[in-house]
Amino acid sequence: MDMNKKEEYNSAIINTIEITKTYRLGEREEVRALKGVSLKIQRGEFVAIMGPSGSGKSTLMNILGCLDTPTSGKYFLENIDVSKLNDNQLAEIRNKKVGFVFQTFNLLPRLDAFHNVGLPLIYSREGSKNDKKERILSSLEAVGLKGLEKHRPNELSGGERQRVAIARALVNDPSIILADEPTGNLDSRSGEEIMAIFQKLNRQGRTILLVTHELEIAKHTQKIIYLRDGIIHNFEKIKNPIDAEQKLKEMPRLENKMIENKIKQAKSV
Amino acid sequence: MKRLLENIKIAFQSLNINKLRSFLTMLGIIIGVGAVVAMMSVGVSAQQTVVQSIQNIGSNLIIISPGNIEEERGDIGAVIGTVVRDELKMEDAEAIKRESTLIEDVAPVIVGSSVVSYMNKNIQVSVYASTDSAEKVYNFEIAEGRFYNSSDVANSANVAILGQTVVKKLFGRMDPIGKTIKIDGKNFVVIGTNKPMGATQFGVDQDKIISVPVTTAQNKLYGFNYVNLILAKAKSEDAMDEASREITKILQRQHKIRPGEPNDFTVQNQTQILDTLSIITTVFTITISSIAGISLLVGGIGIMNIMLVSVMERTREIGIRKAVGAKNKDILVQFLTESIVLSITGGILGIIFAVAVSLTLSKFTMLQTTVSAMPIILALTFSTMVGLFFGIYPAMRAARLNPIDALRYE
Ligand SMILES: Nc1ncnc2c1ncn2[C@@H]1O[C@H](COP(=O)(O)OP(=O)(O)O)[C@@H](O)[C@H]1O
Ligand SMILES: [Mg+2]
Repeated sequence: MDMNKKEEYNSAIINTIEITKTYRLGEREEVRALKGVSLKIQRGEFVAIMGPSGSGKSTLMNILGCLDTPTSGKYFLENIDVSKLNDNQLAEIRNKKVGFVFQTFNLLPRLDAFHNVGLPLIYSREGSKNDKKERILSSLEAVGLKGLEKHRPNELSGGERQRVAIARALVNDPSIILADEPTGNLDSRSGEEIMAIFQKLNRQGRTILLVTHELEIAKHTQKIIYLRDGIIHNFEKIKNPIDAEQKLKEMPRLENKMIENKIKQAKSV
Repeated sequence: MKRLLENIKIAFQSLNINKLRSFLTMLGIIIGVGAVVAMMSVGVSAQQTVVQSIQNIGSNLIIISPGNIEEERGDIGAVIGTVVRDELKMEDAEAIKRESTLIEDVAPVIVGSSVVSYMNKNIQVSVYASTDSAEKVYNFEIAEGRFYNSSDVANSANVAILGQTVVKKLFGRMDPIGKTIKIDGKNFVVIGTNKPMGATQFGVDQDKIISVPVTTAQNKLYGFNYVNLILAKAKSEDAMDEASREITKILQRQHKIRPGEPNDFTVQNQTQILDTLSIITTVFTITISSIAGISLLVGGIGIMNIMLVSVMERTREIGIRKAVGAKNKDILVQFLTESIVLSITGGILGIIFAVAVSLTLSKFTMLQTTVSAMPIILALTFSTMVGLFFGIYPAMRAARLNPIDALRYE
């Protein structure tokens, strides 16, 4: 192994080698959702995984987020061999090293924004009460939700809910943020706002891996990994990523307000 | 510690969401704990009262009660039923008085409960009915006026002697002697008052009584021809055993009981009575414990059922908590805390309910109640254990859920 290669190996936050995942449905039938995926995500990168529905994107993300385990293959997270860890150690990794953002937000409906963001801190021992409060408030500020601490999820718009979820992912200062179709349930303006937040976080040095099936969204990142039928079949570097801030300025506000209202009406029916 | 408080807070929040369901779940525990604590407080003080009054009643006493306690030992209904048994008659008391050589005097006794009124005031009292011998047989002292005499007894005279509490309640500062009062609606003349006896150490007011001739009680108040007890005073302590044998013979002849046949009465001295009482207490305790056990079991199964439902409903919540780093142990403790909070809250509500029942009983009935620490501590201990025992399985189910399956649960 030459010096250059070793350097690269050490700086990789995520390194998977030939990961497979097979779901068994009953005795004979099985679904091979991942058929050998090897990929590396370097520190500070902003990468999108793209692929059609059913291509195995969520399956891959769940494994990377230590929510699920691969059927075979190796997965190193910051050089830790995750496949060797027990339940408790995996919980620790989910708590400290990974910030997961879901398509459906997955907030606790009874808790206000402040306590939803603070949820991971309940399960990490270190830090004083004041220190934890500081971290929650600064996470909320980072996603532009200062002042909405006391609002429950049902008092927030979809975009705001997703921002609470991002703040929750940030609160324990994780090594990587994993987002599975974070804009999938949002209107285009809210989606663009979410991308603006991710771009800002990435500029501050955060490593972000995002799954989407929309090319427009993927073009906000630096690199796209194309997944199809459980294997990676292409990479693409984005030379000039879309600047979400810029795009938001160009978006006609009024029209979007109308769309948003229509969506709200549709939901309340 | 902070973790525990956090968990208790979470538990209360989630129980609060579905108040009615939580309450219904707790109902088994509430009723179980409530019934036990209430019955203990009534039972324990009833027993204390009886013990107290048996000891206070006088010395060298032989007590003749209806029914054969030896044969019916352990049959709690028969023992408690003393008040409605009809084996002892006035004639039995007269026969003992006439024929016994070792007995100083004999007093037949009826114990009842009646409402006494004067003008527009009234009070519920215990009624002690006996003969003029009562003054000699047990400690019955007159403060003012006189005790009833043999002609009052012979004529079923409507005369009454009032305890000090009754005097105070009906007459205040007025002199009650010679006034006409109503007992259960019938006119009686007050001929005397009792010396104050005060309250027993358990708070039973011994002055909330009246006394009438035993014949009056039979013919005018309660309409039966038997007596509840016969008290006989032996001439000396040494003569007690011999006197008991003598009384037994007299009553066997009186009741025409042939040799070898069981007696239909029981002759005991004070010590023997207290022994009998402790058997009653044991039976009572066993009964209460079974009720407690069954209702806590039922309550516990209710808790387990609801916790299983709750784990299912909150599968997604469990998934979210696990996704952000909750360990199996954290989820286990969370749900276990919830079931324990549920059962302890039930226990506490049960105790409050029981105390309310006890206070109401002692306010509106003759029953005196003592709420003591013992049953409360027991109730809390048991309900905690029920929560722990029946909560562990649902909590383990929750803890074992795989995070990704839990998140996908609809
Ligand atoms: N829990 C599961 N059990 C069985 N099959 C599954 C399960 N999860 C996903 N799959 C299957 O695996 C394949 C990949 O699914 P998924 O990773 O969700 O794809 P994507 O997120 O790209 O839409 C699909 O064919 C899907 O039906
Ligand atoms: Mg998916």
